[in-house]
Amino acid sequence: MKVAVGGKGGAGKTTIAGTLARVFAERGQQVVAIDDDSNPNLALTVGVDRSAAATLDGIPRDMLTERTDPDGSKHLVLAVPAEDFIDRFGVPVRDRLTLLVMGGPNHGGSG
Amino acid sequence: MRGVLGGLVAGASRTTVVDLEAGLEHLSRGTARYVDTLLIVGEPYFKSLETASRSFALAKELGIGQVRMIANKVRTPRDEDSVREYAARHNLPIATVVPYDEAVVAADERGMALIEHGPASPSVAAIRRLADDLVMSGGAPAGQAGR
Repeated sequence: MKVAVGGKGGAGKTTIAGTLARVFAERGQQVVAIDDDSNPNLALTVGVDRSAAATLDGIPRDMLTERTDPDGSKHLVLAVPAEDFIDRFGVPVRDRLTLLVMGGPNHGGSG
Repeated sequence: MRGVLGGLVAGASRTTVVDLEAGLEHLSRGTARYVDTLLIVGEPYFKSLETASRSFALAKELGIGQVRMIANKVRTPRDEDSVREYAARHNLPIATVVPYDEAVVAADERGMALIEHGPASPSVAAIRRLADDLVMSGGAPAGQAGR
């Protein structure tokens, strides 16, 4: 299952996303919680110290590769399987739950 | 990092929960394609509901399978009525109503996970029911994002 939680800042989306991830994990599912907010706070609501959850800004370049779209725009994409990437860069929160924090403001400027 | 998020959501074989950037403007088609369910969190006042309604329209354009609203911080039966009335009028299916809950405020103040601070709090109970609903109404099993 792939669930995304959106909404206006302050509406409570982070609390709901983090708690939902915890509940799925409690019920025996393997879960990755991904923080895509530029003001990353998901760590706290899944229950790890914010400082323990480094962002992906500093990941080794060989994990990513640049792809050029037909319209000429360039994007970074994964150069390794998603599961390997999550295992390597995710922060273990507790049994069956891993946290991945995409980045701080502007996501490292790489769109 | 948008391409990276899309690749993670597409390729993860485990259950995936993404806390999106506020507003859906940054959500790419590449990511949207692999999301089974988008939950849009709104509060029971007009401006918030209007924002939620715009997000629904955008999500439809992006072709996300299932889009549902979470009515959050609902304090009174009147709040709930007004959310339900707005949602019905604008054709926004409601996934769950989460009551306003002091436990959320207290957990925030202490920098704690809500589920640890108030495991039996009303808001957590509502999110547990939501999790049940999501499993039942089958988000497709992870890795087989249904279309």
